[in-house]
Amino acid sequence: MGTATPPRAGPSRVWVGALLVAGLGHTPVTYAAAADSERIATLEQKLDQSLQLIRQLSARVNDLEAQVAQAAPAAPAGRPGTGAAAAAAAQPGTAAATPPGTAAATPPGTAAATPADTAQRLARVEQTVTEMAASAGQRAEEGMATHGFADVGVGNHNATFSKYQGANVGELDFFLTPRLGSRTRALFELNFEVGSDGAVGVDLERAQLGYQFADSATVWLGRFHTPYGYYNTAFHHGQQIATSLRRPRFIDFEDHGGIMPAHTVGAWLTGSERVGDEKVTYDVFIGNSQRIQGGILDMNNAGNTHGSTIVGGNLGLILSGALDGLKVGVDVFQTRIEDEDVLPPLPTPATQVRSYGVYAAYDTDTWEDIGEFHVFDNQDLTGHTGTHRSDAGFLQMGYRAGRYTPYARYERGALQQSDHFFAAQTNGSSYYRTALGLRFDVDLVSSLKLELAETHLTDRVIDSYDEALLQYAIRF
Amino acid sequence: MLTSSAKLLLTGLLCAGCALASAADLSVICNSRVPLTTGDVRDLFLGEKQFAGAVKLVPVDNSSAQSVFLDKVLKMNAAKYSTTWTKKSFRDGINPPLLTGSDAEALAYVKRTPGACSYVTTATPPDVVVVARL
Repeated sequence: MGTATPPRAGPSRVWVGALLVAGLGHTPVTYAAAADSERIATLEQKLDQSLQLIRQLSARVNDLEAQVAQAAPAAPAGRPGTGAAAAAAAQPGTAAATPPGTAAATPPGTAAATPADTAQRLARVEQTVTEMAASAGQRAEEGMATHGFADVGVGNHNATFSKYQGANVGELDFFLTPRLGSRTRALFELNFEVGSDGAVGVDLERAQLGYQFADSATVWLGRFHTPYGYYNTAFHHGQQIATSLRRPRFIDFEDHGGIMPAHTVGAWLTGSERVGDEKVTYDVFIGNSQRIQGGILDMNNAGNTHGSTIVGGNLGLILSGALDGLKVGVDVFQTRIEDEDVLPPLPTPATQVRSYGVYAAYDTDTWEDIGEFHVFDNQDLTGHTGTHRSDAGFLQMGYRAGRYTPYARYERGALQQSDHFFAAQTNGSSYYRTALGLRFDVDLVSSLKLELAETHLTDRVIDSYDEALLQYAIRF
Repeated sequence: MLTSSAKLLLTGLLCAGCALASAADLSVICNSRVPLTTGDVRDLFLGEKQFAGAVKLVPVDNSSAQSVFLDKVLKMNAAKYSTTWTKKSFRDGINPPLLTGSDAEALAYVKRTPGACSYVTTATPPDVVVVARL
């Protein structure tokens, strides 16, 4: 707290206030030399802020003095030894002392302020500022956080449905994370997107209610992103935060032709724990097994008719030190998928799907490299075709050069067409795709992406097509 | 008796000194009931650590000192900090830290909120815990 000399003649209360504020709460200056211009600019800004604070506090001191002056008549007027300070003493908590150096303005016979009075007044001013700040902070806590993504594009093909060309609306995605309390959690994601028929559809992408026991354990119930690999949970609908223009084809959303169950309805236990300098992450989940309907995977939001489940897990390791930014992991899931496009009296085809995956993601200021590889060991539960081994994976490399991020991706799916699980899906054919792209960050929340890609379909239909795609994506 | 201009100059120097001290000294503070260590600060402000024992942590950013904090503690710029939180929020459903506009606001919030932690460049009162001084 600042000290002050006994009051003597002084013309300016601002001057006194400035000295007191400057001294208030500050320790002796330790001069850290830093000569670069950015630091100087920062210091100039802080100087401006300090001067502004001085003006505000001086004004506040004047206001308080005015209040005391109005209250003064209540005290016996003209009595020696009484005045503002006495009034303050009669009303605890009322700031009333006269600043040092302003005694000349005090009527003769009025008690001069002491340093203790000044300290009391400044404490009162500080309390007022604190209350105002607390009030501002209280307001900041209220309300529900709403975030979202949106993207639009143009190209010689639609990035998702290649039969279309021209301009397209990608999606409008909202996700809500209400502040519910210290341990109760909730996350909702609502997505408006264009389907394969060109019409806009609405999807409740995620509806998760959770409880957080600790950093190492949160349990979610509801519909969530199936935690396999890296890409599906890291980006999903967040096109603006993904470097590339679109997801790898085989892990696209179910209704966009993805061949893996991107969503699960059920329960999910997730968390992380530090082990030395590294961090271990884990996910364990169980939910309704999916089905094939209309040639696409459906996550059975309402439950299924046979009670079968999808069960899986993901174990990751986030490294540090020289490998800071690298995450590696493995994942596995098993489910029973029925093809409901085959109607009675024919028996419903059912496949036991087992997926084993391995992934790595290297995310630093300069690089973003992601690789995932999944093996499918599926069994025909009707006993006709036995077991089938398929695989799919991708490797993507991006280099961050300021606002530009050039990237390249190779992906492939070698999917056995004798496996009913893949044969029944519209996009279940084998393929490979190479892509070169350039992302340009227009600003912090928007990006422009250009991608040139070549896709080859290699079994069910032998075909290939080239794409030139442009996308504008934002987040909010 | 000092002249007015001399006083003004002295005031300016004092304030400049305060500003320099502020730029050099950054204190990470927590509500007095928060058991937190220096090593936890980075995880706390990146959403990786949300509990200290049974106490739910409430990180609070302070815009007046954020650039210094990001540079010294998190080693990242504001753009990357924002993007990191967008990804974290989207993936894990947690919200980024609340934002206060000044040291006074940050101090007030920390003092009245159990589990709250922030950072300031001014001197810290005795009723908050200084987790780290940088």
